[in-house]
Amino acid sequence: MKKYQLGEFEEVVMLTVGILYNEAYGISIKKEIEKRLSRKVSVGALQSALKRLEEKGYLKSREGESTQERAGRPKRYFTITAYGKKAMEYTRSTRNTLWDAIPRIALELKTVG
Amino acid sequence: MKRTDQSPPRSFLRFFRWFCHPELRNYIEGDLVELYRERLMTSGKRKADWQFVFDVVLLFRPSIIRPMQPSHSFNQFTMFRNYFKVGVRNILKYKVFSFINVFGLAVAMSLCMLIVLMLAEQKSYDQFHEKKERIYRILSDREHSKAPSATTPFPLPMALITNYPAVEEVTQLTRGVGGDATYNQRVVQMRGYFADASFFRVFGYALAKGNKNVALSAPNSMVITAAYARQLFGDDDPVGKTVDFTNRGLPNVGDGEGGEATPWGSFTVTGVIADVPYKSHLKFDVLVSSSSMKVLYDSKKLADLRDDWKFNYSSYTYVVLAANKSAEDLEAALTDLTWRKKENLDGLKGFKLSAQKLTGITPGILVSNEPTQRLPMMVYYFLWFLAAVVMISACLNYTNLSTARALSRAKEIGVRKVTGAYRSNLVYQFLSESVLTALLALVLATLLIVFMRPAVTGLWINQYLNFDLQGNVPVYLVFVAFALFVGMLAGIYPALHLSKAQPVKALKNSEGSRSGKMGLRKVLSVSQFVISLFFITTAILIYNQFRHYLEFEYGFSAENVVNIPLQGNDHHKVANAFAMVPGVVDVSASDIVPSTGTENGMSIRIAGTEDEYKKFGVLQTDEHFTGNLGISIVAGENLPAEDTAAGDFILVNEAAVKALGYTNPNEMVGQVLDPGWGGSTLRVIGVIKDFRFTTPANGDGIGPLAIRNNPSSFSFVNVKIAQGDLSGTVQQLEKAWKRVDPVHAFKYEFYDDQLASVYRGFLDVVTILGFIAFLAIVIACLGLLGMTTYAAETRKKEVGIRKVLGAGDLGIALLLSRTFLKILAIAIFIGAPLSYAVNNLWLQKLPNRVDFGFGTVFVSVLILLALGLLTIGSQTLRASRSNPVKVLKSDG
Repeated sequence: MKKYQLGEFEEVVMLTVGILYNEAYGISIKKEIEKRLSRKVSVGALQSALKRLEEKGYLKSREGESTQERAGRPKRYFTITAYGKKAMEYTRSTRNTLWDAIPRIALELKTVG
Repeated sequence: MKRTDQSPPRSFLRFFRWFCHPELRNYIEGDLVELYRERLMTSGKRKADWQFVFDVVLLFRPSIIRPMQPSHSFNQFTMFRNYFKVGVRNILKYKVFSFINVFGLAVAMSLCMLIVLMLAEQKSYDQFHEKKERIYRILSDREHSKAPSATTPFPLPMALITNYPAVEEVTQLTRGVGGDATYNQRVVQMRGYFADASFFRVFGYALAKGNKNVALSAPNSMVITAAYARQLFGDDDPVGKTVDFTNRGLPNVGDGEGGEATPWGSFTVTGVIADVPYKSHLKFDVLVSSSSMKVLYDSKKLADLRDDWKFNYSSYTYVVLAANKSAEDLEAALTDLTWRKKENLDGLKGFKLSAQKLTGITPGILVSNEPTQRLPMMVYYFLWFLAAVVMISACLNYTNLSTARALSRAKEIGVRKVTGAYRSNLVYQFLSESVLTALLALVLATLLIVFMRPAVTGLWINQYLNFDLQGNVPVYLVFVAFALFVGMLAGIYPALHLSKAQPVKALKNSEGSRSGKMGLRKVLSVSQFVISLFFITTAILIYNQFRHYLEFEYGFSAENVVNIPLQGNDHHKVANAFAMVPGVVDVSASDIVPSTGTENGMSIRIAGTEDEYKKFGVLQTDEHFTGNLGISIVAGENLPAEDTAAGDFILVNEAAVKALGYTNPNEMVGQVLDPGWGGSTLRVIGVIKDFRFTTPANGDGIGPLAIRNNPSSFSFVNVKIAQGDLSGTVQQLEKAWKRVDPVHAFKYEFYDDQLASVYRGFLDVVTILGFIAFLAIVIACLGLLGMTTYAAETRKKEVGIRKVLGAGDLGIALLLSRTFLKILAIAIFIGAPLSYAVNNLWLQKLPNRVDFGFGTVFVSVLILLALGLLTIGSQTLRASRSNPVKVLKSDG
């Protein structure tokens, strides 16, 4: 039974929000993911993931300052909630359990020349 | 310039703002802008723009898009009740404007409703046949024909039913039945068709008496309609009775006259069609079994067309498609048949057969040789177009007046917005107001229709079209839907425009909104007047053309000539009886009445030459004809009196002399001519002065004509009456007729009336167009009235102050009128050349045109000016006369 639902991209976003700590808002998250994972992230995909995560209660947001380069629009900063932290830990531990259950021999792959 | 360069594509930004969930909008927009600026620095404008667009499009996803319904929809009903209440109050408060709006819309709507009624009535034709979805009429077409013909070659049905499985049933109606049925000395005139036994298997007519399956099988049997059965047999049972039928070749279409009377023998009545008002494109009083035709072939009373594939003018073919076949199968069968019969069709270039669905006949495409007259679809499209123009004009009025009143509504809008109304709420409010107005207009339009219906059904042309324009529930539902649509259409612009008002400005009542844009309203008003001017010019022009045809110089004297159809009687007897009537100058006989629409032709060349045959018009008259109509003989002498050789002589006209290559009429006399139809040669006995024997609308100039004395084809006598007691003489003529023919009613028409009635159709067009022009100008003037009234009202104070300072009445009136006078001037400036040019387009195609100079345009400009000035003047003068004390004292 699934206790916590966290998709792959959602997990990436959660982790990045964690990395950025107090500086996590739309653009910074996007850039961080793009930098660390070298994958393209569209604003749309990111925003809908953030909205989902907030609805699930994994993230909470607060309104930040509005600056000149944003044409006066405020930033929205995200932080991980306690519930979100649990979800991340749960995902991590299930993954670890699974890793541990793999017999050593299964991973000793040889590249055939 | 630099600032705009810095911002992302506006349209996409606006799109984003529109769809984005309000809670997310600011943050995401901030992100987007930040990103955009950054990209602008690194990759340049083009790339940044593209990436921005890309981002916005990718943001368009369910989780970002705002919820469809605003969350505050709990008291919709109360709100709508409020809209309704405010709407009613507004309508009552501004009575003049409401009246102008309601009346204008109602007038235009009634016109549209009339057309809906017409179309609905047309659609109800031929709906009573059980197999109506599978019945097709076969049309035949030749190269260079203007429209396909409803008639088909006689052998077609047999070929279809025997060789093609797509055809389940086929029936053929053949024209040519029209004459007198006699029973016990009672004579009734009937028109109808030869029909075969499968008639009742194809069509849904029910028989009140008789057996459907056999009624039309046996030779010399006939089925008549209930009305005619009553006329002929009274209350007796008609089935099994024998009637004598004398055919007079009465045409099926119209109420024209036939030719010689031929007794066809006796017929047994085998059925009576149920007394139901069948609405069908077919109309008949009698159906004669087509097996009777064989007897008539044998006695040479009917042309035998059984193997004639080329003559396709007399029979109608209707097929029932087999249940599992499609229209394409039928078309394929027809194509195949045409290909197989190409030898029989030798010389008929481009001969084509096609199928037309029975329910698509009325209303349908233009088809020649129709069994009944009816307006083709084109006419409805044209009427729709006119109605749409008027309707749009009325909607523009509403738009114009509503936006003009923006100022008076601004406070209300401001308050509503301040108390939390969304723009969409206001849009709904204004729309509900306009829909309310449209529904009121619907009520008025329905009343107008009651008056317009008799006007339309009373049009001359309606005796052929038989509109009776009764509404039914679906039609009324269409009306209501139409009214709703019109309300939306008229209200959408004001709703969007008025709801845009910003509450702060509106409540502060800034002067800025007063001197608002007149631009759009001016354009609308100008276009209304341009349209009106165009309609007025066209109506006047068509009326002039009508007068021109009426006063046309035919070259003969139709005055005091009465044309009397012979109705099958011997012309000698009739002529002798009439000649004795005092007051009759002379009596002549002819086969047709020239210049009233019927024309016969033949081809002629000089005998013994190999010249090409020339096309001639031909009249069959006796020797009194030329004298009677005052046609002078230029050379030679008149036709000889009737004897065995009289048929060998002809009179020709001056145009014929020219056509045959002579210059002097005298050279022509004595020439022997070879008629193209074969038969004996004709000797020219005299040359007459040219006169018009075709209708002026049928072509310019006068063509060659031959007149021959051929008594067997006479069907009219032409009685010239001395000036004096015309009606008394006609009564005498009637008495004389009764002595010769006690059976048929005396029919007569004055020749000059007949010539005029050819153009009755023109008069109908003038009536309709004149009416539409009237509506268009009324609506345009109403709009102008509304605008001037409003302008005068808003400038009341200004007028008061000016007057106190010493301005004169006229000066003020001019001041107030200036804008509107400009509108009129621009409309005339655009409309006059436009209506001149467009009307010239169709006029150039017409033979014997009336002069269309600037006079006509000038007259219509004068009409427009007079009405426009009256409208403007009535309001501005009133405003300028107002007492300044009262105006300035009141606190507006």
